Amino acid sequence: MQLQDISARLIQSISVGICLVEADTGVVISQNETFGTWFANSVVGQVWDIDLPNALSDLPSRQPIEVRAKVKRRTLILELSAHKAEHNGTQLIVVEVQNISRLRETEAMIDSYADMVDRRTRELEREKTQVEKLLLNVMPRSVYEEYVTFGSVAPQLFEPVTVLMLDFVGFTKMAAAGDPNVTVSELNEIFTAFDHISELHGCERIKTIGDCYMAVTGLPHPASDHAVSAARAAVKMIRFLERRNQTHEHKWRARIGIATGSVVGSVVGVQKYVYDVFGPAVNMAARLQAQSEPMEITVCETMRDSLLDEFAISPKRNVSLRGFGDTDIARLSEHLAHQRVA
Amino acid sequence: MLAHMETTGSIPLFDKYGGLRGLRSVIIDFYDRVLDSDVVGHFFEDVDIAKLIDHQTKFFAAILGGPAEFADQRLANAHRHLDVSHIHFDEVTRILKDTLADAGFVQNDLNLTLSAVEARRSLIVR
Repeated sequence: MQLQDISARLIQSISVGICLVEADTGVVISQNETFGTWFANSVVGQVWDIDLPNALSDLPSRQPIEVRAKVKRRTLILELSAHKAEHNGTQLIVVEVQNISRLRETEAMIDSYADMVDRRTRELEREKTQVEKLLLNVMPRSVYEEYVTFGSVAPQLFEPVTVLMLDFVGFTKMAAAGDPNVTVSELNEIFTAFDHISELHGCERIKTIGDCYMAVTGLPHPASDHAVSAARAAVKMIRFLERRNQTHEHKWRARIGIATGSVVGSVVGVQKYVYDVFGPAVNMAARLQAQSEPMEITVCETMRDSLLDEFAISPKRNVSLRGFGDTDIARLSEHLAHQRVA
Repeated sequence: MLAHMETTGSIPLFDKYGGLRGLRSVIIDFYDRVLDSDVVGHFFEDVDIAKLIDHQTKFFAAILGGPAEFADQRLANAHRHLDVSHIHFDEVTRILKDTLADAGFVQNDLNLTLSAVEARRSLIVR
């Protein structure tokens, strides 16, 4: 077999489309099989008849252009380029066509996949934010950050802190007597207001149990005015309830106890975990709360000094508290001057 | 209810068979076979390549537990205007089975995938 024959066969069998056109006349001189398959209306011996955005004679000076060809049901994306050549004194245009469908298909697949992954990433981000929001409801941010970083939270002693414990008078009776939906929705509204008050005064709400609301100052970051901050929050809560009761049918009356001391804070539980605090200050606040009359705030006598400047403190009285024995306690209220302003 | 399939182990089949990297040629192969089929090829004729490939990629990701999920309602809406018959559905299932078998899917994974597709028959066939 002659080299020429081999070349001719090769040109016929390659997957690149080749077509030779006479430059002067525009007549197709030769084309390989691949070209013929892609462009059925291109016939050897006839004038070039392929619809292109550019004239054939312009093609050699241009970048390759993209054309579509339909073979059976499949629309192919082809890249067409041309260059000039000369053969035995005849000027020719050699048209070369590559099938770039696979390339385009792969690009489309990557786009499609990237789109899916982007969407999934956004969903995960949203979920993460949601989880973070939920966790920040049950633990302070610094504890949450420790939890995220290390996967656990080491119990930590906080001292001194002040614990505020609030409980409603006759809640059980109210819940049983009225529509529980209304009662709970009102409780939710009140606790939300308490959350705002707490935040304003640097109190960290630790938890609510039924109608009991517990917040701590001086945790997780130490604060020298923890006692005053807790007392401020407490009088605001009472004031809020007083105002609310003037315009609402249900009269919500609370008792509050405030105690200074130490607590240990930790995440409790494995699957249903909550951040909680334990310690003498918590127990004391609970006992003091029980000593309050409705709409009263009870504090330990030991807190008098730190609160005297800003609040009215009643003379001390001695009571026996479970777990603490004889204890001096006092009633805390707003200074009259404050009350008048309010 | 999401049209994404349960898997045998803890990892989805999409990942087991190499993610997009591993399944790229399988997806293209499936697309070729579907287009060549005289029974269902016409559904895909004259559809823009990018759109068609997008469809096939998401289809694979969805049936193999990849990062795509289609709500049943969305599947039903997408096929409503196509007049898909049981013959068409059977043909696509057959092509999928052949493609996955040729790609080296083990029998159990193949069965799981096909039954996930089968479970959506009523949403797609009119």
